[in-house]
Amino acid sequence: MIAIRGDRWRLWTVLGLLAVLQFAVRPRLGHPAVAPDFLLLALMLYAIRSRPGAAAVAGFLIGLAGDAVSPARVGAGALAHTVVGYLAAWGRAVFFPDNLFVNGLVIAIGVWVRNAIQILASGPGVGGLTMPLLVWSPLQAITTAVTAALVLVTFQRWLDIRLET
Amino acid sequence: MALGPDHSFSRRDNVLFLVCVVLSVVMLSRPDWGHDLTGYVRVSVMRPFLWMQERAEQSRTSRSTFERLRAERDSAANAAQFLSSLRAENQRLRNLLRLGDRLPTRYIPAEVLHQSVPTDGRTMILSAGSRAGVRAFDPVVGAEGLLGVVLEVDAQRSLAMTWLHPDFRASAFTTPGDVFGVIAPALQVTGSEQLLQLRGVAIRDSVPTGTMVVTSGLGGVYPQGIPVGTVIGPGSEETGWERIYIVRPAANPENAAQVLILAAPRDSSVAKAFAGDSAP
Repeated sequence: MIAIRGDRWRLWTVLGLLAVLQFAVRPRLGHPAVAPDFLLLALMLYAIRSRPGAAAVAGFLIGLAGDAVSPARVGAGALAHTVVGYLAAWGRAVFFPDNLFVNGLVIAIGVWVRNAIQILASGPGVGGLTMPLLVWSPLQAITTAVTAALVLVTFQRWLDIRLET
Repeated sequence: MALGPDHSFSRRDNVLFLVCVVLSVVMLSRPDWGHDLTGYVRVSVMRPFLWMQERAEQSRTSRSTFERLRAERDSAANAAQFLSSLRAENQRLRNLLRLGDRLPTRYIPAEVLHQSVPTDGRTMILSAGSRAGVRAFDPVVGAEGLLGVVLEVDAQRSLAMTWLHPDFRASAFTTPGDVFGVIAPALQVTGSEQLLQLRGVAIRDSVPTGTMVVTSGLGGVYPQGIPVGTVIGPGSEETGWERIYIVRPAANPENAAQVLILAAPRDSSVAKAFAGDSAP
């Protein structure tokens, strides 16, 4: 099981690092629709060690920040991140084992669900739903999951996670 | 709020979740409230993060690189001939430079700060604001044609709505032919191609496939002559009192890295500036 201890500052350091990566490094990582979403990864890492209510609030705030810089439909990002944060915190108690692959899979699903809710809440778009939901979102889910695996392995001790080998 | 793995879910968690969902739905249903709030968040909390992103974008495709490319474009083209992506980027920059030289109106170059959300492209954060002379309703163009219009401006950045946004509209006409209509996004649930519609065309007018559509200059927002796209066929006419044509856009906001924001005067024509791109 995931062991969670007090060292909160280490968690916040990792979350802060991911926020910096989102804005300082992500623009250099290729197509924006495919590059890993460090902020959603930070939300998922926070959510899996928090109560669902706190994860929902964190999701709402991150979504609101996303709506501020890409306000195609204000509120869609907040709604999508709230739901994903809440479900990640809730789901962790049900099926979250300490397996790196499962962690990555859950984070990938989180990315896809976030994108699906945000696209649907934003209304029909010019390009339809096929490409965003079946091509770009899965690609972004994969890159984010791979990034999550790297972060979990690198910061295993800082995040107080015991991963199965 | 770290807890053990066996924590139970309390009513408080559910209440917090519902409050967040309700707030999100309120913002969705009252966009004016949401825009006020996100505008404040953008110029306060998000300011340092956007500053970081701007620096990152500039280091990737900085203006110094822009200027250096102007001076060394021949050698750069030679060096880049085996790298297709670099060559494409180089070509876009060159086209933008050539367009800038030809534009009769004042323009402000800006980087696009792309975001990670799936609706990125419907709106764009641009790295130039009121300090650089940007004003609300200034047109945003790329080397290929029309991208959108500036909606909100703060001191250092601005927010543009692109033609991918469901609310986008622009007055346009065909060339040749001078058939007038209104350009709007072709919203669809299925399909994958991003297309526009030329709506409101009079029943008596017909537009052949392959006809170029440019902004008409009517409405006082877009100058006349910015390429919008090319007609690829008729669309469905549900009302029966107008013709609708499907238009393949000239420029794609999702791929735009650098743009030009056109400043006043808006009543002038920029057709000649864009005509040079299609010249052999």
